[in-house]
Amino acid sequence: MTISEILSYGFIQRALVAGSLIAVLCAVLGVFLVLRRLSLIGDGLAHVTFGSVAIALFLRINPAVVTVAAIPIVLLSSFGILKLTDKARIYGDAAIGIVSSLGIACGVLLASVAGGFNIDLFSYLFGNILAIGTGDLVLALVLFTIVLLAVFFFYYDLVAITFDEELARSSGIRTKTINTVLVLLTALTVVLAMKLVGIMLISALLILPAVTALQVAVSFRATILVAAILAVGSVVVGIFGSFILNLPTGASIVVVNFIVFMLVFSGKKLRQAH
Amino acid sequence: MKYLRWCVVMLFLILPLGACTQKEPATEKGKVQVVTTLFPLYDFARVVGGDRVEVSLLVPPGVEPHSFEPKPEDMVRINRAGMFVYTNPYMEPWVAGLLKGIDRRLLTVVDASRGITFLPAGDHDDEHDVNEGGHHHAGMDPHVWLSISNARKMVENIAAALEVKDPPNAGFYRKNAAAYDQKLAELDRKFQEGLANCGTRQFFHGGHYAFGYLADRYGLQYVSAYAISADAEPRPRKLTAMIDQIRRSGTKYIFYEELISPRVAETISRETGATLLKLNGIHNLSRDELHGGATYFSLMEQNLADLRTGLQCR
Repeated sequence: MTISEILSYGFIQRALVAGSLIAVLCAVLGVFLVLRRLSLIGDGLAHVTFGSVAIALFLRINPAVVTVAAIPIVLLSSFGILKLTDKARIYGDAAIGIVSSLGIACGVLLASVAGGFNIDLFSYLFGNILAIGTGDLVLALVLFTIVLLAVFFFYYDLVAITFDEELARSSGIRTKTINTVLVLLTALTVVLAMKLVGIMLISALLILPAVTALQVAVSFRATILVAAILAVGSVVVGIFGSFILNLPTGASIVVVNFIVFMLVFSGKKLRQAH
Repeated sequence: MKYLRWCVVMLFLILPLGACTQKEPATEKGKVQVVTTLFPLYDFARVVGGDRVEVSLLVPPGVEPHSFEPKPEDMVRINRAGMFVYTNPYMEPWVAGLLKGIDRRLLTVVDASRGITFLPAGDHDDEHDVNEGGHHHAGMDPHVWLSISNARKMVENIAAALEVKDPPNAGFYRKNAAAYDQKLAELDRKFQEGLANCGTRQFFHGGHYAFGYLADRYGLQYVSAYAISADAEPRPRKLTAMIDQIRRSGTKYIFYEELISPRVAETISRETGATLLKLNGIHNLSRDELHGGATYFSLMEQNLADLRTGLQCR
């Protein structure tokens, strides 16, 4: 099948467009999150949605809008992670662990009390990159615009708190506000983007492009740029590659990301050896 | 295995609690306690057993049964039961592990699919998918109940087990089973006749491969988006192949499965303009359906009506 034949299918076009938009915003946020030791926040917040599903169940919310019901809870949880790292002096990984396991536990408890489900609500929470609708495309574009505008607007503050929070604070940056902005943007991205492409892809795109870009980083700006390019490239290669090899697409994109990381990493080691 | 060990620990913690709170109503003396895994078995057992048995459903409404794990309370329930009915080892691979934790001297375990000929899992015309069933399915299609002739066999198995378990009521069970068998035979004939004269003999399904037995029984061709495992990811080539087939054949309907988001069927529908129709795999019901009194029989009747629409039958 030729490339133009593959591209004649609407679902492939939408996968490419929405996938690329989400890849860019995950990569950009990922650079900040990885450096702040919050790489697992994507995974953690996805688990919190288990709890929100149980609440949706109690309120008998229409499954089509279960994601909307999840947004406030995920935003609140991301704020909780921030407070734990800040107030209780816990590292990010532990704080994410606490909040996400609490989310799952509440979900299990509430679902048990409710006595069964009407439908498998989780299947409505987690999407697939091959099943993106036109409305989803608009959602991806809106999310993309919001997140990138926010990063653009707070760029210098974000960079400053990422490298040295104490210094940033003493030089008059409102570190609390900036931290909150970062985790809230991440929460919004996770909950909306997983509705589009599934959680596996989101947590991979938040971590791998950023980590790979950091291997070759010369400046912060370049890191962000490289991460975004790698992420979009992996989505495009993954979609076409999964077509050629007849494999599931989301998983293929994750593997492509890992291969790129290994290549960059070994290239760097080889160069150092010389 | 870790989970089971935990279950046993929880059992010891919860048993004394249960004695105090007595949440469940005391079981009536003399009635056979039957625990069934999936809804079709639950339905068959309550039809055959009538008021002489107490049937309970292990997998809660709305839960996708391929991924079910039991709660401590479920283990207690099975321990108290006289009979445990499951579909087959391909459908509920977790049953063997679960029964290891149970005192089996008093428990009759019924494999409802005994004597049924299994079909290989997956989509026959795509050799990749046949191997995709995952090790626990061992390559055989577990969805036997979707052929009514298999359902009749399952009813017979359950009735035979009840007759042995509770000899004084054997005649009662035999009578119920025979009456229900006649109803099912009638429905089977309705399927044969209703699907005999159709615009197309091929139906497309945006879910996992569940209707192999139904297609086989009534001479239909069946194409599904996924292979046998319900939690797999679709492959792009499979989707484009289905889209092309639907476009070429001018098919007007695409079926989607119960309980989970019809996302993949919607994608195919967007691409081809085919209308969405539900086809119920009757793995499990939603809470509302269960309380609304749905039965295997009523759901299969609904399936027949929807299949007749989808296949443009006269």
